[in-house]
Amino acid sequence: MTLNSAGHLFRETGRSLTKNFWMALASVSTVAISLFVLAVFVVVSTNVNHVTTLLQNEVELRVFVKPKATRPEELKLLGQIRHWPDVRHVHFFTKEEAAKQLKGEFPNQHALFDVIAKANPLFDGFDIYTKNPAQIPSVAHRAQAVPIVHNVVYQGTVVKRLTRLGHIVRWVGWIVEALLAVATLMIIVNTIRLAVFSRRREIQVMRLVGATNWFIRWPFILEGLSIGIFGALLAEVVVSAGYRWVVGAAARALPFWPIASLHTVVDRTALFTGIGGLAVGGVASIIALRRFLRV
Amino acid sequence: MKRSQDLSIAHHAIVQDFKSVCRKLWKCEAWERTEKIVGEGVRRLIRLDGVTKRYANGHHGLVNVSLTVNRGDFVFLVGPSGAGKSTLIRLLYGEDKATAGEVMIDQFRLRSMTLRQLPRLRRQLGIVFQDVKLLPTRTVFQNVAFAMEVVGASRRDIMRRVPQVIELVGLKNRRDNYPDQLSGGEQQRVGIARALVNQPIYVLADEPTGNLDPETAADIMRLFVEINRRGATVVMATHARDLVNQLQRRVIAIEGGRMVRDDVRGAYGYDA
Repeated sequence: MTLNSAGHLFRETGRSLTKNFWMALASVSTVAISLFVLAVFVVVSTNVNHVTTLLQNEVELRVFVKPKATRPEELKLLGQIRHWPDVRHVHFFTKEEAAKQLKGEFPNQHALFDVIAKANPLFDGFDIYTKNPAQIPSVAHRAQAVPIVHNVVYQGTVVKRLTRLGHIVRWVGWIVEALLAVATLMIIVNTIRLAVFSRRREIQVMRLVGATNWFIRWPFILEGLSIGIFGALLAEVVVSAGYRWVVGAAARALPFWPIASLHTVVDRTALFTGIGGLAVGGVASIIALRRFLRV
Repeated sequence: MKRSQDLSIAHHAIVQDFKSVCRKLWKCEAWERTEKIVGEGVRRLIRLDGVTKRYANGHHGLVNVSLTVNRGDFVFLVGPSGAGKSTLIRLLYGEDKATAGEVMIDQFRLRSMTLRQLPRLRRQLGIVFQDVKLLPTRTVFQNVAFAMEVVGASRRDIMRRVPQVIELVGLKNRRDNYPDQLSGGEQQRVGIARALVNQPIYVLADEPTGNLDPETAADIMRLFVEINRRGATVVMATHARDLVNQLQRRVIAIEGGRMVRDDVRGAYGYDA
């Protein structure tokens, strides 16, 4: 493509988009709305995954030791637990290590870090791995019975349920998106059809004087792609602003709820809306041209 | 004896190789063009060979038409409405394909031409219609320039060539007017300028004076004669009896899809 035709291409696309401004706006909004819904599903799914992974990475059993227990007492207990029949592995951690881990899990909770830095309220403890999951409750009971143990935490079924929830969210998301994609596609096809129709005289003249088929087609394809990209941008701006607010609100209202970080979510939604916008715009313009610009 | 046999075999092989390489190199257009130059075809621009056009509804647009148009010719196509003049014109710019027979224009064989090749043919010809098909939102200058823009001409060529053509058709003072500010004759001149701006080797016109009063029609016809005098081949379907009779050019008459007459210096030959 020469520089001349590139100039022509962008001029024509701009002309077409401004000429059918309201129709173009309608298509951009439709794209934005369906991509926004897509992004919301991505946000939910990302968060479910985030929680699931956190829980999965967590140990099977966590035993916290009372603050007044001394280090030798703790180490003695460590030796004892090692010899319990169902225990596969045990790991001792100090409250400083616990604070470090917490920082990794809640990167947005700066207020929390300040508190921890001043006077660490966390406990020393043990991560216990059992030989098989069925032994978790009995080990938990045995640990609870030790005098210096403060409490015992374990999770198993939660992870399973969350994983299933993640699957459901993803499936519902794909189905809703498929339906929305069809609707969006039809709106863009119609916009391109209008653009072709309003320029039918020019197209006729172009054909008669020997413009190549792709020379005639490109402005319309570019128009479809721009509608898709503008829609994606709009959706992405709304979603990232919205999620920024959610992260802020969650940090205040549910400080211990592990929420996926802003940049992870923005990156993922940008990827999905960007690809979605380009795909829907491109496919729609190709459909429109095949149906309304027979050459 | 054996040695000379070997030599002759080697010689034969070399000649064969040479021929096949030549054929490969010269095949396609270049080969055809060479043949044409060598043969008598050098002056021939358009050739129809037993061309029949049948439409999907079974109607015959053209039946077994054969004719030749040489470079520099001025040809009138005459005949009653619906006789097949427009069908012939459509075949000549590749809008329709013949059902049978071969249409050849310059180096193009139109029946075997693909849609991708069509633009190459179109750039060689200029087309003028009865309804001029100007773009209403563009000025005279822009309408003419548009034809150059869409075939990828440079800004410089456009700025040089467009004013020349506009002057040729006598619209120098109207170049910034819009089509609806022009008379019918002036609009047709813009159409002609647009057809000429890419320097076609021939110009097709489908009843270009159909909507014009006799005086304006005569002006337009004079313009075509001038274009022809400058070297372009002109093929024109027309109902303008007086002008055809007056100009004494080649006349091809078509009736019911068949060619019924081909006079070198002909008359219109129909009563009104």
